[in-house]
Amino acid sequence: MAFLEIKSLCKSFESYSVLKDIDLSIEKGEFVVFVGPSGCGKSTLLRMITGLETPTSGTIAIEDEVINDVDPARRGTAMVFQSYALYPHMTVFQNISFGLRMSRKPKALIRERVEKAAAILRLDKLLDRKPAQLSGGQKQRVAIGRAIVREPRVFLFDEPLSNLDAELRVQMRAELLELHERLGTTMIYVTHDQVEAMTLADKMVVMSGGRIQQYGRPLDLYDDPDNKFVAGFVGSPKMNFLSATVASVGAGGLRADLAAGGAAALPLIEALAPGARIDIGIRPEQLSVVAAGQAPSADAVSVAGRVALIEDLGAESYLHLHLADDSRIGVRTARHAAHLGEEVRVAAPAAGVLVFDEAGARLRGRA
Amino acid sequence: MTSAAAARISVWTVLKWATAIAIAVITIFPIWWMINVVFSLPGEPVAINPRLWPTSLSAGLEKIEMIFTQTGYLRAYGISLAYALLTILGVLFIGSLAAFEFALFDFPAKGPIFGIVMLSLMVPTAVTIIPTYLLTSNLGWLNSLQGLVVPGLASAFGLFMLVQFMRAIPKDMIEAARLDGAGHFQIYWHVALPLCRNALVTLAILTFMQTWGNYMWPLIVTTSPEMYTVGQVVGMFNAPLSHQTVDVVMTANLLAAVPPLLFFLIFQRKIVEGIAMSGTKG
Repeated sequence: MAFLEIKSLCKSFESYSVLKDIDLSIEKGEFVVFVGPSGCGKSTLLRMITGLETPTSGTIAIEDEVINDVDPARRGTAMVFQSYALYPHMTVFQNISFGLRMSRKPKALIRERVEKAAAILRLDKLLDRKPAQLSGGQKQRVAIGRAIVREPRVFLFDEPLSNLDAELRVQMRAELLELHERLGTTMIYVTHDQVEAMTLADKMVVMSGGRIQQYGRPLDLYDDPDNKFVAGFVGSPKMNFLSATVASVGAGGLRADLAAGGAAALPLIEALAPGARIDIGIRPEQLSVVAAGQAPSADAVSVAGRVALIEDLGAESYLHLHLADDSRIGVRTARHAAHLGEEVRVAAPAAGVLVFDEAGARLRGRA
Repeated sequence: MTSAAAARISVWTVLKWATAIAIAVITIFPIWWMINVVFSLPGEPVAINPRLWPTSLSAGLEKIEMIFTQTGYLRAYGISLAYALLTILGVLFIGSLAAFEFALFDFPAKGPIFGIVMLSLMVPTAVTIIPTYLLTSNLGWLNSLQGLVVPGLASAFGLFMLVQFMRAIPKDMIEAARLDGAGHFQIYWHVALPLCRNALVTLAILTFMQTWGNYMWPLIVTTSPEMYTVGQVVGMFNAPLSHQTVDVVMTANLLAAVPPLLFFLIFQRKIVEGIAMSGTKG
């Protein structure tokens, strides 16, 4: 059995169902990130693990012990809040030692543990300060220190970096990874920022509408998403979707008519019959501009559009194309690949594109 | 520059200052007059040609000494202080405990119960005074300190004020304390109470003023002179059949006014802060 095992977990607030049938296994020492849009239930799941919410049904077990009815303070979990939740009237030392003092640990042990945590987090010189005298990053570290001294089995982070500015966020991200490496403790981290999720996670749990959409390594989710939601959510800039209708299915592959004009040859997908509506997913970096006068290769998905916006990022540019069916797609190209208002044709190798059915489920062809 | 300065002194400014000064004079004069009467030779301030400043420190001190040694004033002072301090402690403790529950937790019928408590703010004291007296009397608490103190321990106003403050405490902070293993009472004691310190100080001061100046309840519940409060004793000095002269009466009044005056001077900034500010500024 896994280190942390969640089975058929459901949560409803009165008649509103927030989490539906969650199953999840987390191994010891993993850094797992729950990611999803606001209101997808990721924070609720975290709060149930720590005991601030009670499940409507289902079980949560840590090291084979079901903890549904265990007091939050005795679960061996420690949580870092988005607002840090530091006590403004206590010094850093008092804040970090609060939990130990509440459980009446000996003074010498409290001092030892706080000093150890302070050294790890570089808070040694700030122990006598009050939270109001600290910067955002320092407050964040105090909040983490408060979790460390409890020596938990699982660390839980609820969007801990969202109150920091962009630069500090990148720095704290690196520090968190370092901390994870150093402590080797299981960490669960909630965020709505998929870039944060990609950079931090050993395993990533993408959630939407109260369900787990997909669980796995970040790059696996990026390369091989199970559905349209995951495909669109993971990766920045977002994946493009072209709607199409299957025209014919042959032995070597299928042909689809794009709503934006043109046809595409795709690898064979047995589940599809002519007339079926599909979405073709293409990442912006898979597309490239086809030089004027040249025809795209036969095994490529190509589409034409007008350049509506160019974002020059320095090393590369990001084109927004306005297509004939009024949809928009993004293309990552070299600088000066196109001019504003110009009609261009872009193409991507058909082997790399993803196909989704009308309901958003991924259709995998034969490899 | 002079023209600019002159332009800024408008009629409005003059009026504003004149009003402020007039109010200050009206407020301060009675207190000043009290001091003036006490620290003068008998009869001087009320002479045909009265003086507006004190003339004799020793005369005043003599009167104060006389009041403390020859009347029950000192004892009344002690009782009033005990009455005020015990009431403050009770109001703060009971009020903050109740506010903690009302502001931060949910329990059945919370809304209606809070509503009823708030409604009691609209009931005038005169209406409740007879039932309260009967209850106190049935308990055998007439002429006792508990008879004075206990009926005033639960303050709906105090509850209202503290609930407003405690509502401003972030829920995360309470949850963090819970995860840190703090029990219900420990969260109240270590987190909620220190975070509304300003409100508690304000409530303490307001309760002190109210208790110190409370005349009606002590008059009703303590009939024996050993339990008289300062208010009652001063009332006797002021009574029409009192044989004390004006300056001695004034001395009694001045002595009664000193504690609230000191309290106010020391804590007036806290009072304003407490009323104006919310509880959790770090």
